[in-house]
Amino acid sequence: MNVAKYNLSSVRASYGKTLAVAIDDLSIAAGELHVLTGPNGSGKSTLLGILAFLNKQDKGEIRFDGVPVNWTRKECALLRQRVTLLHQHPYLFSGSVAGNVAFGLAARGIGKEQARNVIRESLEKVGLAGFESRTARKLSGGESRRVALARALACKPEVLLLDEPVANVDRASAALFESLVVSLASDGMTVIISSHDERLGARLGARMIYLEDGKLGCAPEPLPSVVSTRREEGTHANS
Amino acid sequence: MGFIADSFRMAVSLIVAGDADVISAVITSLSVAIWSVLFASLAGVPAGVAIALGKFPMRGAVRLLLNSLMAMPTVVIGLLVYGFLSRQGPLGSLGLLFTPKAIIIGQSILAAPVIANYTLGAIQGADERILPTARTLGASNSQSLMLLVREVRFGLVAAIIAGFGRVVSEVGIAMMLGGNIRMYTRTMTTAIALETSKGEFAFGLALGLVLIVVSLAVNLVLTVAQESHRA
Repeated sequence: MNVAKYNLSSVRASYGKTLAVAIDDLSIAAGELHVLTGPNGSGKSTLLGILAFLNKQDKGEIRFDGVPVNWTRKECALLRQRVTLLHQHPYLFSGSVAGNVAFGLAARGIGKEQARNVIRESLEKVGLAGFESRTARKLSGGESRRVALARALACKPEVLLLDEPVANVDRASAALFESLVVSLASDGMTVIISSHDERLGARLGARMIYLEDGKLGCAPEPLPSVVSTRREEGTHANS
Repeated sequence: MGFIADSFRMAVSLIVAGDADVISAVITSLSVAIWSVLFASLAGVPAGVAIALGKFPMRGAVRLLLNSLMAMPTVVIGLLVYGFLSRQGPLGSLGLLFTPKAIIIGQSILAAPVIANYTLGAIQGADERILPTARTLGASNSQSLMLLVREVRFGLVAAIIAGFGRVVSEVGIAMMLGGNIRMYTRTMTTAIALETSKGEFAFGLALGLVLIVVSLAVNLVLTVAQESHRA
């Protein structure tokens, strides 16, 4: 039985007067693969931003590993070393592929020699072995996303959040992403993928979190839904 | 037309011969401009970053002030700094008036708003994904800022070029704070003004040519450096 990585209680987040996320109760199990799905504008990216500790919720409480998050600058900086978000349109820094992948390692004070091995391993994982010296900005769209994934993986996060990682990528890259996230979750990493593809969760055997108008809901039939709430003890991730 | 042509020929011969006054004015101009841009960058770049990213009251007013300072007449800056550095002024005991250091102080004040404004523009024009990407990769605030500055470095070089262009071509500050002392504080621009007023048009033209060449050369070098890094 997995413990919860995240517990969200009465979380509200708005953009101006528009309520983007309104989650009363959600637990996200540690070391499992989750697919966050829902229609456009349902609050998926906002929720990922909160889970990545990039954006603070307006109201409510978030617990990470059972500890309430206070959102102090120092705490957020520490938490972001444990949680990494791969944006839908990732930004690659100017310079080489290796320089990009090394960024998170340098931020963690990892030495160049050790970093070199991690960079190589990370690029191998995403099928870009030997790309170290390539100019990051000259890569194709699919390659860029893979570099961004390698950059995130190099940080060895406890939680990997992926915002629409397979949208507008070629079939080979999508297949690689899917097999990789399954293997990462089986290795114990908590992985949360947001996707418009409502079949993705079933395809990956993932837990489903369905959002609609910022609220938890049930995915349209016949998709399986394992939205976990504390009221639904039977399917609760913590149960 | 013959007068211009003759003056031009004389100007070229003065440059080719390496006239001591010309060389001194060029060296003084360049050295005070380089130091001024250095100090102005140390103040202007962090100020531009802070105004671009900071959330503080009266931010709009600060930006407006910065824009206004860009149009500040050089003689007014010269006048204000003169007030501080003159014998009766609060910094008069330092004995800086009519020295190259005084010009550097004035020109730093002149260039700082220019560099800050260009930096502000560069930061605001930067890709808005840079900071969230850095943060989600575990970077601290200072590491994220360093990355941001690195990513907009071409904009910062443009800011420095603009600052250099502003100081190397100004005459009011150099005249008022430097005193136009031969072989000491005489810059290219003050020498041009003086020599032309004395009827030494060829000498003024020679310095004018050097000024144009120096300005173009500095811009060219920085632009080439920028392009080679971009490639």
